[in-house]
Amino acid sequence: MATAVKMPQKGLSEESAIIAQWHKKKGDSVKIGDVLFSIETDKSTFDVESEVEGTILEIFYQEGDEVPVLSDVCVIGDKDAQYSPANVSTSDTIQQAEVLHESKEIAKKVVNATDTISNPIDSLDNDKIKISPRAKHLAQKMGIDFSYAAGTGPEGRIIERDIVAMMEKGPFVTSAAKEEYMQSGSENTIGTGIGGKITTSDLQQPVMPEKQPVHSEQSVQDEYEERALNRIRKVIAKNMHHSLSSTAQLTLNTSFDATDILAYRKKLKISMDRLGLHNITINDIILYAVSRTLLNHKELNAHFLDDKMHIFHNVHLGVAVDTERGLMVPTVLNANKKSLNEISGEVKILAEECQKGTINPDMLKGGSFTVTNLGSLGIESFTPVLNPPQTGILGVNTITQNVKEVNGEIVYYPSITLSLTFDHRALDGAPAARFLKELKTNLENFSILLAK
Amino acid sequence: MPVSQFIDPKVVRKSGTLTFKDIPLNQYNKTLKDEKENFSKEELLRIYRDMMFIREFETMLLSVRSNKIYNGIEYTYTGPAHLSIGQEAAAVGQAYILEKDDYIFGSHRSHGEIIAKGLSAIQKLSDDQLLEIMKDFFDGAVLKVVEGKQQDKNNVKELAIDFLFYGTMAEIFGRETGFAKGLGNSMHAFFTPFGIYPNNAIVGGSAGVAMGAALYKKVNKKKGICIANIGDASLGCGPVWEAMNMAAMDQFKELWEEEYKGGLPIIFNFFNNQYGMGGQTVGETMAYQILARVGAGINPDQMHAERVDGYNPFAVIDAMKRKKAILEENKGPVLLDVLTYRTIGHSTSDANSYRSKEEIDAWTAEDSIAAYKGELLKEKVATEAEIEEIDKNVKEVITKVFKLAIDDTVSPRMNLVKHPDAIADVMFSNQRIEKMDDRPCEVLMPKEENPRVKKLKNKIRVGIQDGKPVSKLRAYSLRDGIFEAIIDKFYTDPTLIAYGEDNRDWGGAFGVYQGLTESLPYHRFFNAPISEAAIVASAVGYGLCGGRAIVELMYCDFMGRAGDEIFNQLAKWQSMSAGVLKMPIVLRVSVGSKYGAQHSQDWTSLAAHIPGLKIVYPATPYDAKGLMNSALMGTDPVVFFESQKIYDMSEMFHLEGVPEGYYEVPIGEPDIKKDGKDITILSIGPTLYNAMEAAKTLEEKYGLYAEVIDARSIVPFNYEKVLESVKKTGKLLLTSDASERGSHLNDFARNITELAFDDLDAPPVVVGARNWITPAFELEEFFFPQADWIIDAIHEKIMPLKGHVVKNNFTKNEQLRRNRLGV
Repeated sequence: MATAVKMPQKGLSEESAIIAQWHKKKGDSVKIGDVLFSIETDKSTFDVESEVEGTILEIFYQEGDEVPVLSDVCVIGDKDAQYSPANVSTSDTIQQAEVLHESKEIAKKVVNATDTISNPIDSLDNDKIKISPRAKHLAQKMGIDFSYAAGTGPEGRIIERDIVAMMEKGPFVTSAAKEEYMQSGSENTIGTGIGGKITTSDLQQPVMPEKQPVHSEQSVQDEYEERALNRIRKVIAKNMHHSLSSTAQLTLNTSFDATDILAYRKKLKISMDRLGLHNITINDIILYAVSRTLLNHKELNAHFLDDKMHIFHNVHLGVAVDTERGLMVPTVLNANKKSLNEISGEVKILAEECQKGTINPDMLKGGSFTVTNLGSLGIESFTPVLNPPQTGILGVNTITQNVKEVNGEIVYYPSITLSLTFDHRALDGAPAARFLKELKTNLENFSILLAK
Repeated sequence: MPVSQFIDPKVVRKSGTLTFKDIPLNQYNKTLKDEKENFSKEELLRIYRDMMFIREFETMLLSVRSNKIYNGIEYTYTGPAHLSIGQEAAAVGQAYILEKDDYIFGSHRSHGEIIAKGLSAIQKLSDDQLLEIMKDFFDGAVLKVVEGKQQDKNNVKELAIDFLFYGTMAEIFGRETGFAKGLGNSMHAFFTPFGIYPNNAIVGGSAGVAMGAALYKKVNKKKGICIANIGDASLGCGPVWEAMNMAAMDQFKELWEEEYKGGLPIIFNFFNNQYGMGGQTVGETMAYQILARVGAGINPDQMHAERVDGYNPFAVIDAMKRKKAILEENKGPVLLDVLTYRTIGHSTSDANSYRSKEEIDAWTAEDSIAAYKGELLKEKVATEAEIEEIDKNVKEVITKVFKLAIDDTVSPRMNLVKHPDAIADVMFSNQRIEKMDDRPCEVLMPKEENPRVKKLKNKIRVGIQDGKPVSKLRAYSLRDGIFEAIIDKFYTDPTLIAYGEDNRDWGGAFGVYQGLTESLPYHRFFNAPISEAAIVASAVGYGLCGGRAIVELMYCDFMGRAGDEIFNQLAKWQSMSAGVLKMPIVLRVSVGSKYGAQHSQDWTSLAAHIPGLKIVYPATPYDAKGLMNSALMGTDPVVFFESQKIYDMSEMFHLEGVPEGYYEVPIGEPDIKKDGKDITILSIGPTLYNAMEAAKTLEEKYGLYAEVIDARSIVPFNYEKVLESVKKTGKLLLTSDASERGSHLNDFARNITELAFDDLDAPPVVVGARNWITPAFELEEFFFPQADWIIDAIHEKIMPLKGHVVKNNFTKNEQLRRNRLGV
């Protein structure tokens, strides 16, 4: 038997992924659960593990290659097995792949000739994930990637109980580990796979002492360490440069009196549990105010596309999230229609998914305006970089004490600076300033805004 | 098998000969000259006019069907045209003496009979009666079209004639203004207010139905006689013989109460045109040589059979007068062999390849209308000019009506775009009528004194008491539930009758009717001959005349014997009459077990396939009584399936016990028999108990809680409860005793799959009986679904059960293999 290992699909809209690293080479023998290769999508990195035991008979793509999802990446089978391109059953391939990897195409289609068809039904679609409509529905509702579910239904179909098991037992499970995991039922196993998922190695080797880096003489002597950029870094680098080189961006700063929103937040904090509210942060309040102010300043809730602009009817707020892998910007869709509490809850989930790497890539798209917050790091003012084709990005800074004169007396008040970067191609300074002015008014009179 | 009748071996074994009376053949020998004193000029000319009307009407149809034109007016008619040119004298002669309360039932070739009977009724009804009938019918919709289009605006009879022709023609042309809104068409046109009852496109179909109408007249003491107008070739059909025998059963003379004594008031009138389509009956397909001979095979009266010359209207009138008198003396039934000939083909596609031109020419030479006209002139009853005037008038009426009937503005077709439910709305009458008549019910004792009713008083009306099962002998059973509903109705609806094989005395083969004999006179409750076709057909006739009946098929397997009667008659007359007729008939069908291949089949799916029938299959005493009450309150045909496996089942679900009083279980509503959250099991009939057993195992061994739903009804069926359940559980298994291939469970499964696809965690799984013959009782566990089949199917197809070891093969490969082999 030979088995083709396919490029997994990690998001509904994902069409291809890049092979970041091969952990095995042709001729290596592999066990179930061995990491074969790592892949990078636009925003995430995943390991692909072997689900079968055998020898890697052929590798079709090299590191750095972009591979259409569900394409065969390599073939694992018996060392002595005979296979030849002539005995291949054709499978759908993506045209792009044919162009890019024409020479590999023939080899790619290789399936071992001994892979005889014994059950006509099972062979019909054995490369698809079998999942019941009900289980699929539940998985999507709960935001669970069902490709990690251990199918315990007939013929390995994922059924409702498998998704329920994932929900109940917490960590997501790779299919390679599913058997042992389901049987062990261990609560103590800590997942080491991406997103905390449990791999076979977690089950087989509960404790993996971290390897101490070996400092060779040479490494001490080197003045620098060469580090290849990962996929995300590459994307960020490209995007940032593109932003600054292709737009006409400039930044306006203003500050507002945060007394009102701080008082409001304090009030919420006291009754938060009783009212069943999320822990609403200052940033959530600013997101809310932006979502309510933007629609009066349509050029800032827009995409600039050189010869035309898309003016959005609803506000899709990109929220910058700092993760280990780099900056990620998930989107709160239709924020203008959501309550403060809803925005707060959604941002928390999105941020968490970004941190874990489980975010659906579809959620990293579609923003019409972005808010980025460096306030928690004590920044008082900065120039946010636009996220083209968006026309505006708002930077939120830390709280400082400021003074103002009230009835001849100097009073202190908490102040927050807002830094708006906008694309001068899309709008001029005055309209951008008017947005900031209205936003400032709304934030200083937040309880009135809420009442609207 | 009444005890009162002693079968004396000494008598029946005695030697002797059986003698027959002579059967008269064409004995009428008078001429118009002789009859002149018995008929007025007007009557004699009317006979001519009526025959001409038929001739012209059929000529019109022949013309538009063959040449797309009539009298210079173009029209394309593509429907059936089984014409009776040549047979006019037979139809007019018969109708001449009939009253409105005399009912005729016809065949595919009955336009002539409709016209003759209709014209006869118009002649005999008063103007007020005619106006009332025309105004009432479909709220005057038919009348509206022809009203005001007469030469003499005050002549109601002229209006009524236009009305008759228009309603018939519009019906034939499939117009909404037809007598059945175009749903009956050519072969099924009729108009009951004139005593014209359904014509039937099934050869001989009217024999049993008309016999049931005659039964209705007798039992309910209604005026009039019934006539089954069928063809000579229909004697090749078993159901016709069944009907003749049943109409003549000995019990009418021997056992029925005095005022109900005597055979049924029916004439089996064979319009003997000497062909069955192209098959020559005498000399080729039949054995009787002279059709009238058959009467001698039915009863000692020889059915008063005789052959009559159907080419002579006076001969037919003479015979009809004499035969009607016999029926009025309660000496029916009668067989008439009315010899006639159709000079044109069976239908317009008939090339007459089976008969010679000489033969047709010879009969045309003796054409009844030409001969009668000759007599009229010869005897100076009328002048040429008077005859021409009649001919002209006939042609004018037919032409006028023809123009109206093909005019889309006044005679539109049913608009199924604007009224998409127009046909759906007449599939069932869906009425609630407690009693079909208001007179007192004839019974032999007060209900409370009935021995079975008294016995039921002492029964425990629930199957589990203080947590312990009640003994079968003391518990109220499913058969008690059916009985209680039925006896109750016998004391409520005076028209209700029940019959079937071994119903009286025996109490039904499975004891459901025990005690009923004590309460009911013969005419309300009797044993039918072993004639399933006649049993069901007669119920159809009884129902469409306005009575309520419960008839029984002892075994479901006998449905085949009553196939046409269930599928083409019982199911269709409500809708084919566009809602004019009702069919308050309950057909009890007992589903066997233990009796092998021809006595142990669940054929619910066959019945469910035919539109127009309501199908129920209760599995508990509570549901059996409640559903029977609903069936007997309604006006639709209900096929009431009962399982012999569970006649003695006590009430295990309705723990307050089966109520003593009246209650209904609505037809079409499934019932949740056990709550659960993990899987839904939908059962039909007795498999409810297998499902319950499986649910118990699932709970005890696998910790799964099955929700068990009893379908109770198959048609109609409200899916809401099942969908709600599937939404909860995501899993569905369906089970019944019907062989799996073509089982109605597949319909259920398909609908639920479509309606709840996103809720499903696995495809719905059907567990039916094998596609085999039913084997001996000892092997039935390999044929009918068992509880362990249900578990195995769940394990294999829905959700593998931890540690479960299967006993039965429910794998996909096995499914493929069985289908490949057709087993």
